[in-house]
Amino acid sequence: MKQSPKIWPALAAPGATWLLALFGIPFYAVACVAFGTIDPIFRDAVPQWNPLAWDFGQAREVLASVLSGPLQGVFLRTIVYVLAAMITSFAIGFPVAYFLARHAGKRKLLLLTLVIVPFWVNYLMRMLAWVNLLSPSGLFSRFMGVFGIHYNWLDGSPITVVLGLVYGYVPFLILPMYATLERLDWRLVEAARDLGATSRQAFRLVTIPMAQAGMAAAAILIALPMFGDYYTNDLLSRSPRTEMLGNQIDFYVNNSQQPQRGAVLVLMLSALLLVALSWYLRSTSRYAKERTK
Amino acid sequence: MTRRRFRVLPTIIWGYVIWSLVPVIIAVAYSFNDGRSRTVWQGFSLRWWIGDPNASVLHDASMRNAIFNSLILAFTTVVIVIPIGISLAVGAHRLRGRSAKAVQGLTSVPLITPEIVVGAALLLTFTRLFTGIPLGFPAQLLGNVTFSISAVVVIVRARLVSIGSGFEEAARDLGATRFQALRYVLMPMLWPSVMASLVVVFATVIDDFVITSFLSSGVDSETVPLRIYSSVKGGATPALNALATLLVLTSFTVLICGLFGLSLWRKRHGDNGGLRAALADVTQADA
Amino acid sequence: MLRRDFLRNLVITTGGLVVAPSLLSACGTSATSSGELVIGTPTNPTKLPANGEAIADGLAEEKGTLEILNWADYTNPEVIADFEKLFGVTIKTSIYDTEESAIAKLRNGTFKPDLIIGLTDTALARLSAAKLLQPINKSYIPHFTNLIGGLQSPYYDLDSQYTVAHVIYANGIAYRTDRIDSSVFTSGNGYDAMWDSAYKGKLAVLDSYRDTISLAMFQAGKNDVNTSDADVLSAAQENLIRLRNATNPKVDILSYQELPAGNRDIAFTWSGDILTALGYLPEGTPAESLGFWYPEQTITANDFLCIPKDSKAPVLAHKFIDYLLDTDVALKNQTYVGYQPALSTITVDTLLSSGAIPETLKDSLVTPEKYDSGQRLVSLSPDADALWLDAWAAFTAG
Repeated sequence: MKQSPKIWPALAAPGATWLLALFGIPFYAVACVAFGTIDPIFRDAVPQWNPLAWDFGQAREVLASVLSGPLQGVFLRTIVYVLAAMITSFAIGFPVAYFLARHAGKRKLLLLTLVIVPFWVNYLMRMLAWVNLLSPSGLFSRFMGVFGIHYNWLDGSPITVVLGLVYGYVPFLILPMYATLERLDWRLVEAARDLGATSRQAFRLVTIPMAQAGMAAAAILIALPMFGDYYTNDLLSRSPRTEMLGNQIDFYVNNSQQPQRGAVLVLMLSALLLVALSWYLRSTSRYAKERTK
Repeated sequence: MTRRRFRVLPTIIWGYVIWSLVPVIIAVAYSFNDGRSRTVWQGFSLRWWIGDPNASVLHDASMRNAIFNSLILAFTTVVIVIPIGISLAVGAHRLRGRSAKAVQGLTSVPLITPEIVVGAALLLTFTRLFTGIPLGFPAQLLGNVTFSISAVVVIVRARLVSIGSGFEEAARDLGATRFQALRYVLMPMLWPSVMASLVVVFATVIDDFVITSFLSSGVDSETVPLRIYSSVKGGATPALNALATLLVLTSFTVLICGLFGLSLWRKRHGDNGGLRAALADVTQADA
Repeated sequence: MLRRDFLRNLVITTGGLVVAPSLLSACGTSATSSGELVIGTPTNPTKLPANGEAIADGLAEEKGTLEILNWADYTNPEVIADFEKLFGVTIKTSIYDTEESAIAKLRNGTFKPDLIIGLTDTALARLSAAKLLQPINKSYIPHFTNLIGGLQSPYYDLDSQYTVAHVIYANGIAYRTDRIDSSVFTSGNGYDAMWDSAYKGKLAVLDSYRDTISLAMFQAGKNDVNTSDADVLSAAQENLIRLRNATNPKVDILSYQELPAGNRDIAFTWSGDILTALGYLPEGTPAESLGFWYPEQTITANDFLCIPKDSKAPVLAHKFIDYLLDTDVALKNQTYVGYQPALSTITVDTLLSSGAIPETLKDSLVTPEKYDSGQRLVSLSPDADALWLDAWAAFTAG
C-alpha cells in the first residue's frame, strides 16, 4: 500500500519556511538594495523591490573599483591572506588530525579533548589573549625582545593578521579533517605496504587520494568564513595596510550612509560562495557516498 | 622510517596543543592581576572579579548586563531552534526527489555562508523590509536561530542515518501509524541529538559575534563578545579577561553537563561508548 | 578682560560682520540648500527649519533610565554617577566611533538614545533634514547663560534651537617629547612630520574623513576645508596615499590612550585628546613627555549636545544638559575628559591656574584668538560629500 506520506513535508515545513523567510528573502533584500537607487540628500540606499526595475549602475561602479580601482588592493589582499592562512592551517592541522586518527593510541581521548577545547573558547577571547601577548609590553613581545627582535606586532603587520586567522580557524580544520581520516579504510594503506610501497608512497598514492574529498571540504569550511572576517584584522591591526574585504563590508553596511556599496560587496562575496558551495556539495556527496560503502 | 614519523608527529601535536591553549590560559591568569595592566603582572588579586566596587565584573552594571544578555539570547535561541531543527531534519530525511534536494540545499547553505553575509543581509532586511522587527534582542534572536538551524539539522540527520529506518518499519508492521512510530519509537532514540544540539547551539550563540553585532541596538543589547570587542580597542582592565573567562566557563559547564547527560543516556540504553561516544555525538556537528 | 575680548570676537564672527578676511573668505560659502539640506556657515548663519514643538515648560522629570549616546571616555564617570544620585535615575551609555556611523545608526534605528553628546556641525544638516532632533526648551536650562556668548547662537543653529554647545577644540599634532623634538614642527612646514617615514608604524591619524583629508590639504597649503573642488580633493587623496605608504598609519580615535602608553610617537588628533592623555600616562612617565603642536593653519571647532525627537526622557535630557553647563560640574568633567568646556566662566587662564594643565601643554588650549583664526568645518552638499567620501575610501582601502 502506497500512501503519500504527508507527514514528512509537514514536519519539514516550519523549518524550511523559516529558512526561506529569514535566509532566502534577506539575500533578495540585499540584491534589492544593491540594485536600487540612492536618495539624493543622504545618499542612502533606496531598495528597488521590483527586479524589472533594477539599476546596475552602482554595482558596475563597485565592480570597476574592484577590478581596477581602490578596491582592487583590498580584494587581492584578502585572497592572498586567506590562501596563506589556509595553507598554513593545513600545514599545522593536517599532521595533528593525522596523528589523532592514526597514531594516538592510549592518549587519544586526552588529545582529542585538548584539541577540541579551543572550540568552546570564545573566538574573541582567543584573539584578546593574543592582543595582550603581542602588545609592546606583552609577554610575547618581551620574549622576542630577549632575542633582540623588537617589532611592533600590532602595528598593521600582515604576518600578524594571517597568523591570527590561522590561530582562529585552524580548530575548524582539524576536526573535519580528523573525522575524514578516522573513517578512511586503512586496510588499503596496509595492502599497499604489503605490495611493496614505502610508507611515503603509500601516503601519497593511497591516503591522500582517499582523503581528498574531505580535505577539499575542510578547506572550504575555513576559507569561506575567512573571506568574510573583519574582526581579526580589526583587533590585531588597525591599519589600512591590512584592510580586508570584510572590513569594507562592515564599514559600508554598519558605519556609513552608503549601504548600497556594502550590499554590492555582499553580493560579490555571495557569488564566490555559490561557486564554492557547488564544489563543497559535490565533494561532500562524493564523500558521503564513500562513507556509506 | 615509520619511527621517524612517530617522533615528528607527537611533537607537532603537543606543540599545537600548547600553542593553542597557553595564550588563553595566560589570559585567564591575568584576570587575577592586581594592577590595571593586562600585560604586566602585578600580583594576585580578585579585584576584577568581585573586589573593585566600580570596575569588577560583579559590580559593573554594564558587564553584568552583557552576561545577562548573552545567557538570555543563548537560552531563548536553543528553546526555539531545537524543535524547528528536529522537525526539519526528520521531515527532510524522508523526502524524496526534487523537494529533498531543495531542502538539502537550503539547509546546507547557511553552514558555509560567512556570518558577515548573513549579518549584513539580515540588517538590511530588518531595517528596510521587515521593519516591524526592532533591532536589538528580537533581531538578534531571529538571526541566531536562523544561523543555528543548520547545525541542528546536521546533528539530527547524522543520528537518523545511523538509526536507520528499521525500528520504525518494525513498529508500523506491528500496527502503529506513522505518527505513532515517530513519536514513540524514533523520538526517544533522538535524545542524544537533542542534547548534542542543545550543547552546540548554546555554545555557538553565546560565542556569536558577527550576527549579534550587526543586529545590535546599542548598549541594551550588548552581549559579552560585543563587550570584549569594543573594550579591547580601548583601555580595558583585567575585568575584561575575567568577563571572557566567565563566558568560557559557562560554555564549558553546559558542555560538561551535556556530555554527562549523553553518557548517562547511553549507559542506560545499553550503549557502552561512554565519554568518547558522547564526544562524537557533540562534535558530529563539525564533521 | 580676556573674557570680554573673547565674547566680542565671537559675537562678531558669528554675526558675520567683521571677519578675519584672508582666512574666512576662503572658507565661507553661502548658505546652501541642496535639496533639503540647510547648511549654515560663518559668513551665512542659518536658522534651522522647524521640527515640531519643544516639550512644555515645568514638566516633572522622568523616572528610570536616561540613555546617552556618546564618544568613548567622553564624560567623567563621576559626573555621571553624581547626576544619577542627584535625580535617582540610571544612566546607560552607548558608544559611537565616528560621526558617520552615529548618523547611520540613528537613522536606521540601531541607536535610540535620549540625549546625544559630541556631534558637530558637519553632522547637523543631515540630522535636521532627517528630522531627528527636537527643539530645546531653554526654560529647563538656566545655566545656558554660562555658555560663551558667541556660541549661544552659533552660525550653524541660530538661537540654539536644537543644539547646545559643549566643548571647544582644535586639530593639531600630539607627540611624545621624549621621542620627538619640538623643533621638528617649527623648522619648515610642521605638517611634514606626519609624512616622515622615520615614524613608520608609530603614527596615527584620525578616523574622521573631514579632519584627516583636511590635514592633507593643510600640508599642501590649501585652506578651504569645505571645498567641493574635485581637483583639490584628488590632490589631497594622493597626498594621503603618500602618507599611508610612508608611515603605515593607524586610523582610529585612540591616540589619547596609545600615545601615553608609548605605542605611538606622533598622532594627528583633536587638541582635547592630549589633555585626556594625561590621565592615561603609566606610572613613571612624567606629564612632560606629552607635547602638542598647534599649527597656524588648522581647524577649530566645537561640538554640541542635542536631544533626539523620540527621546523617551526629554526632561531628564534637558536637565542633564543644564547639569553639564554648571561651572563646577564642567570643571570636574574637564579633569577627566580633557577638552575645554565652551563656558565663558572657564577661560584658558582658569584652566592654567587650576593646575590641571601642565606648562608644556598650554599650547593645546584654544584661546579666543586661535578660535577665531581657525577654519570651521561645515556640512557639505551631498555631491561634495560624495567626493570627500570617495577620497577617504581610496585612502582607507589600503
